[in-house]
Amino acid sequence: SMKSKTRLGEPYGSGLLVASLENYSPVSKIGVFVKAGSRYETAENLGVTHILRLASNLTTKGASAFRICHGLEAVGASLSVTSSREHMVYSLDCLRDDFDGVTEYLINVTTAPDFRPWELSDLLPRVKIDKAVADQSPQIGVLEKLHEAAYKNALSNSLYCPDHMVGKISVDHLQQFFANNYTSARMALVGLGVSHAALMKVGEQFFSTHTGAAAPGAVYRGGELRVQSGGGLVHALLACEGAAAGSAEANAFSVLQRLLGVGPHVKRGSNITSKLSQGITKATAQPFDVSATAFSATYSDSGLFGVYIISQADSVINAAMAQVTAVAEGRLTADDLTRAKTQLMADYLMSLESSEGLLEELGVQVLSSGTYSSPQTVTQSIDSVTSSDVVKAAKKFVESKKTMSCYGHLANTPFVDEL
Amino acid sequence: MASRAPAATSRLLVGFRKWYYNACGFNKLGLMRDDTINEDSDVKEAIRRLPEQVYNDRMFRLKRALDLSMKQQILPKDQWTKYEEDVYYLEPYLEEVIHERKEKEEWAKN
Repeated sequence: SMKSKTRLGEPYGSGLLVASLENYSPVSKIGVFVKAGSRYETAENLGVTHILRLASNLTTKGASAFRICHGLEAVGASLSVTSSREHMVYSLDCLRDDFDGVTEYLINVTTAPDFRPWELSDLLPRVKIDKAVADQSPQIGVLEKLHEAAYKNALSNSLYCPDHMVGKISVDHLQQFFANNYTSARMALVGLGVSHAALMKVGEQFFSTHTGAAAPGAVYRGGELRVQSGGGLVHALLACEGAAAGSAEANAFSVLQRLLGVGPHVKRGSNITSKLSQGITKATAQPFDVSATAFSATYSDSGLFGVYIISQADSVINAAMAQVTAVAEGRLTADDLTRAKTQLMADYLMSLESSEGLLEELGVQVLSSGTYSSPQTVTQSIDSVTSSDVVKAAKKFVESKKTMSCYGHLANTPFVDEL
Repeated sequence: MASRAPAATSRLLVGFRKWYYNACGFNKLGLMRDDTINEDSDVKEAIRRLPEQVYNDRMFRLKRALDLSMKQQILPKDQWTKYEEDVYYLEPYLEEVIHERKEKEEWAKN
């Protein structure tokens, strides 16, 4: 069998990390991962990452917006930007043979954007559309509000531009944010289906002398945000501070998450393996439109863990809490544990099957820790989670200060201190 | 425009230019050369891209000139725009617009 190896490198002294995985695919996928997520926004430039996310196709010093668009289209390539709270990811797909031609666009977009005032003001309708679409979705609303309530800074920043900053993000804001965060020391260049040598050559063009600004650590506070809106359902997200990504505790939380249930594994099934679902069916006769799933988010220095419930009944949240408390008291069988671990491993490995999933995993790992752990290493560390680790994680949830965000018809929804 | 800058700016040439500039007469209404440019679609786009301050100054000068022309007057001599003070503010934006249009036409040809 062909052995594909992940290779890491660092073009002399720039701080940029280059990782490539030669999978002999006819399609190359290159990603530039930058530590420029919404957590690095300051009070003066809230919403700047939203604008940057939309501004990736605008004119750069080396190529006009027109040329970037048509140049990519001419070879059937595509450039897309995704941003999370921690990272901004620019990913470029192209046929392997066209790799040399299209990398200049990627380099221009990530190192030399022009930020022309008229192009930026033309972005305004797109910002408004993004926000309108996000407002329509209770899931997005509840997630954003959870982070806003849970943290004092950094991770509390929303992924979307706040209302008061729409139209007020200026060229200066963008240039400053760019200068502070898009430095080669905070970037990783990742390639799938490319030769390591070619990728290192591309990496040499990312050299920048800035060191960038230091970013504050996220401080968890625990709070509550409730948004009354119409509709018959309540979306409630109840969380505590979890563990940072990559730590052993994070693995324990992920296993606990699978134990409690993350949604049916069989379409239209009755979700027997989900403790949350089963517990709630016993507690209420009303149909719950559920998703009573366990929620887990990990960041480089913190994390969130909890339960996400969509229902009409008010007793559902307490029933869900009771399930987690049961685990915290040690009521979990060895079978449950093995099943949760297997599900987690399977989910992880399956996410690596797609090139998007693999690129993201490679990029986030390289950017956060500077190295790449093979899937075998990751599955081994998942396997080494014991039931006492899981019980400890559940206890942490039960005992620590919780955060809650709810959205919907909140007349009967308990407050976080009433749970 | 800038591409037609003379190879040698002798004193004779500069003298001629100054004479021609004053003979044009728009400086007597307080206008600059770029205020008088004919507004085709390229120029309109370039004007759209002007920074707010520059655009407001342009509008002010145009308004003042229209007002003077209605009254059949000109400004007092000390307020005429001088040859040395005339700034070709629109030129960089206009060049950029034309360059972009040409790029689009090049692509469309293939």
